Amino acid sequence: MKQLIRRSIDRRLAESDAGLSDSAAAALAGEEMYVSLARWIGTDGCHALFGRARAEAEGSNGALAALTLRPRATPYIDGVAEIVVKYGEAETAKAIESMLIAVTEVLGRLIGADMAANLIQQSLPEPSQKDDSEQIRGAHG
Amino acid sequence: MSLPDESLIRGLSTGVPGLDRVLGGGLPEYSFNLIAGGPGSGKTTLAHQIIFANSTPERPTLYFTVLGEPTIKMLRYQRQFSFFDPALAGSAVQFVNLSEEVLTGNLSGVLERIVGEVERTKPGIVVVDSFRTIGGRAGSSEQLGDHSIEQFVQRLALNLTSWEVTSFLLGEYGEDEQRNPVFTVADGVLWLSQATDRNSVVRKLQVVKSRGRAPMPGLHTFRITDDGLQIFPRIPEQTRARQQQKRARLSTGIVGLDEMTGGGIVAGDAVMLTGPAGSGKSTIATQFMVAGLRAGEPGVIAVFEEYPEEYLERAEARDPQLRKMITDGKLELIYLRPLDLSVDEALHEILAAVERLDAKRVVIDSLSGFEVALAPTFREDFRESLYRLVGALTATGVTVFMTAEVVEGFTDVRFTAEKVSFITDEIIIQRYVEIEGELKRVMAVIKMRGSEHSHELRTYELTRKGVTVGEGLKEYDGIITGIPRLRRPLAGGPADPLVALKQ
Repeated sequence: MKQLIRRSIDRRLAESDAGLSDSAAAALAGEEMYVSLARWIGTDGCHALFGRARAEAEGSNGALAALTLRPRATPYIDGVAEIVVKYGEAETAKAIESMLIAVTEVLGRLIGADMAANLIQQSLPEPSQKDDSEQIRGAHG
Repeated sequence: MSLPDESLIRGLSTGVPGLDRVLGGGLPEYSFNLIAGGPGSGKTTLAHQIIFANSTPERPTLYFTVLGEPTIKMLRYQRQFSFFDPALAGSAVQFVNLSEEVLTGNLSGVLERIVGEVERTKPGIVVVDSFRTIGGRAGSSEQLGDHSIEQFVQRLALNLTSWEVTSFLLGEYGEDEQRNPVFTVADGVLWLSQATDRNSVVRKLQVVKSRGRAPMPGLHTFRITDDGLQIFPRIPEQTRARQQQKRARLSTGIVGLDEMTGGGIVAGDAVMLTGPAGSGKSTIATQFMVAGLRAGEPGVIAVFEEYPEEYLERAEARDPQLRKMITDGKLELIYLRPLDLSVDEALHEILAAVERLDAKRVVIDSLSGFEVALAPTFREDFRESLYRLVGALTATGVTVFMTAEVVEGFTDVRFTAEKVSFITDEIIIQRYVEIEGELKRVMAVIKMRGSEHSHELRTYELTRKGVTVGEGLKEYDGIITGIPRLRRPLAGGPADPLVALKQ
């Protein structure tokens, strides 16, 4: 699961024309994961999942306490820029990545790691989906 | 231009054992179906079983969840079933949550989202679970958005059919709600129910409606196991006429009993052996089976009163080859002892074994245990159910040997305790009598439809090798009262026959 999240973030970094920062790429990966999972399990279900994941990851990543998760809003993961100012780029990127890994772990515990991996895999953008994510990308760019 | 013929309406195999048969050949492709029933009746499991049997990445399923059971919980529970393939989730089976659209209360938005997803995904199957949460919310007011629920259902059906989608709406509906528009528009309605009677739960399925098909009428019991739903189609009153037999005689494996029956049991007949506890019913039934196995006739024994291993151990004491017969695929021992069994389920298990082995002989040991194993609701119709069971079994050409325990005193006699003698072709009774202060066992053949048979009451003994039939008790009267009396004094003996017996 860790590799899946890492690949997802790396892919955003590689696809970025404007040179995304690590924290913005992690937030973008999380944003797309949220949108994709919300299609499957609903906005409220997905928000609950992210909320639980943040709580789990927060213990070792204090920066997450300042992160705002806003259901039914774009971007969903908000306040990244402010956290970068306070904790630094690397710490923020690591915190968001930890939260995303925790999402996959919680989901894996609930429905099985194999199916969770399938669902997360679906959140990786297809080439045709790149345009659809421009709005989200802009919010984190 | 000609109308499409029936062959154009392909049957979609449901992947649910027994259901295609009940539906009259599967579900019509592109049909718009309702799966209705109360909470916990198995609607969601049935839908999942159907979609996992029919979905491919090229023709995926779109499973729309609405309000109610959270998707994660649904996936968590459903993946425990063997039919659930996690590898298909995400590609061949895609879940879409409609909560947002439904919560807005605008049916136009709901329809737009469904149609949009269908256009994008081009699925072969669409499920909406639970449709009741859409229809129910809309039903609380006459009009929501620019749609009434009638219009919504109509337009949903039109859209899904146009996209060549077979669809299933799942919902909790009561029997008094069949005027709901969804029932009118639906091509097929499957009704699931479960009834609790004392400590047993019986699940039933009914095909209330099926356009383009001739489904089996009536209520069909089903069971939910780790493999999902299994339907046990209701046994029709008369499936078909009995297979014509050459009236061959089948040895019972007991010389004396073969003599009493005029050469053995008539092949294809239903035989009932009744007797009190300890009279050797199971022993005789097993000997009948072993005789068949030795003659190269595979067989099936359905046991209801004890565990198969116990049954086998006891039977093996007389015939050590029995276990090997099972290993060799000549004999199958079926254990049917749940207390919520239906006659249809029992028949299904027995018939399946008969087909597997091409069995010629079936032993049901015993009817008394069978009756106890049935759910209370089926016990009420035991005679009728047994009639259908025996009819369906003998229609396949097998010879059915049933045992039944009778409880009797010494001063009365009953031929069968179950009052089901009318379903049998042959009846053999056993009972205890007192002779010389000892309990002796006697048996008699009291009915053989269309065949000559002995009318003697003959003693028999249970030995380690099985049953040995002795001579008739011609010199006694009143044997069936349990206390025989010598008809005439013994030569040179005293006049009182009881005194004579004691000597």
